Amino acid sequence: MSESPKDLRLWRLPRGRHGLPRELVERSQRERLLAAVVRVSAAKGYEATSVADILEEAGVGRESFYELFDDKQACMLAARLLLVEDLADKVEAAYTGGGPWAERMREALAAALNWFAADQVAGKVLMLELAAMGPISRGVFQEEFGRFTSLVDAGLDDDGPQPEVPRATVLAVGAVFARIYDEVARGRTEELPAMLPELTYEVLVPFVGEAAAREQEQRAAAS
Amino acid sequence: MRKQGGSESARNVLDPTLPIDLSARQQRQRIVDAMIASVAEKTYSGTTISDIVRRAAVSRTTFYKRFGDKRSCFDAALQHSVETLWAAASAAIERGDSAPQAIHKAIAATLDLLAAEPGLAHLVMGEAVNVEPSAFGRYRNELVPQVQALWESNGGERGELRSDPQLAFGRAQVLIFNKISAGQTAELPQLLPEIVYLVLLPFGGHDVAVRQSRLAERRDLGAPGNVAA
Repeated sequence: MSESPKDLRLWRLPRGRHGLPRELVERSQRERLLAAVVRVSAAKGYEATSVADILEEAGVGRESFYELFDDKQACMLAARLLLVEDLADKVEAAYTGGGPWAERMREALAAALNWFAADQVAGKVLMLELAAMGPISRGVFQEEFGRFTSLVDAGLDDDGPQPEVPRATVLAVGAVFARIYDEVARGRTEELPAMLPELTYEVLVPFVGEAAAREQEQRAAAS
Repeated sequence: MRKQGGSESARNVLDPTLPIDLSARQQRQRIVDAMIASVAEKTYSGTTISDIVRRAAVSRTTFYKRFGDKRSCFDAALQHSVETLWAAASAAIERGDSAPQAIHKAIAATLDLLAAEPGLAHLVMGEAVNVEPSAFGRYRNELVPQVQALWESNGGERGELRSDPQLAFGRAQVLIFNKISAGQTAELPQLLPEIVYLVLLPFGGHDVAVRQSRLAERRDLGAPGNVAA
């Protein structure tokens, strides 16, 4: 799916007979429900969110909800997939944009930081509220972590460095995740883009050592 | 154990002070252990007071007498777990260890204990932040100066930090959480090389961290007292 989270805007179909194709109606309802579960979970927490809350926020009827989703959890999981795929698309576009590997890595990092800074609600849901789903959230984390390490690995093979530390990719993704998590938890995601230089250094050190990582840090600060 | 006046032998065996005190503490510990076990299996949000009292074999009344609510019981369990881990880490260090060795041993002991006690691993590395997003930050703030003191007291260079130690701990936690999420808690000791690298990086720099990490990969501690320069 290509919609960015901000495209999940609330719009209502005309009431009564409107002659719109069923497919379009369902798609609109689905988008509104996904946007609603994200907004309501961010505002009052996933646990406290009821299907009724989601329906009210989305302006969709109960019957339509259950035609599209089995339950609240299914709706939340669908919303998370949409968000994560949007984030991964942005990161991948930056990472595969051309240029030397260290610079592409810096660009990918900037894309991730900007994404979280631009959408506080989405960040809160991905980082904090998914975990409230209970044991299933462990599999979700595992899947997303794997998605981003594979993404970084896939871009390493052509001109990437021979990492000086085994499993440097995991360390890199771990650093980004840890920093973003901290800032989301503190409600300070707007400060993430300013952390690009420091985080560029932290991410690159295991791959290229301190001197080369410092150089990229300075370039990030100048850009 | 509360000491009453009088010698051991003079204490009346019918004096209820000792048994009640002991059983209060035992009950508390049983409840804390039950919380740790339940959280490992069904996460904090999935754990109910009923789960805890059933596992601990205590009554609901007893639970509420020892802990006001589920959250304060969880906080006690977290505190207990962090203390247990730190005790194991400190106990692993021997006189004459170089700073990188000391940290290497402390991490190895921590990972071994987490692998042996999956409940501790889930609670400290996973659930704590789900219950309170700032929880990890809070005990990380306590832990970083302790690790830095460990580095310095074993002859490690005192200088400017080479990277952010708070972030190093955050990274280590993500790695551990990732293994736990995959249901591979027993394999946590495999993360030793990465975590040795991460924790040494801020204090010793990349080269020292790489050297000790490679030793960790071979399950080698390095020559005793060989302070990596």
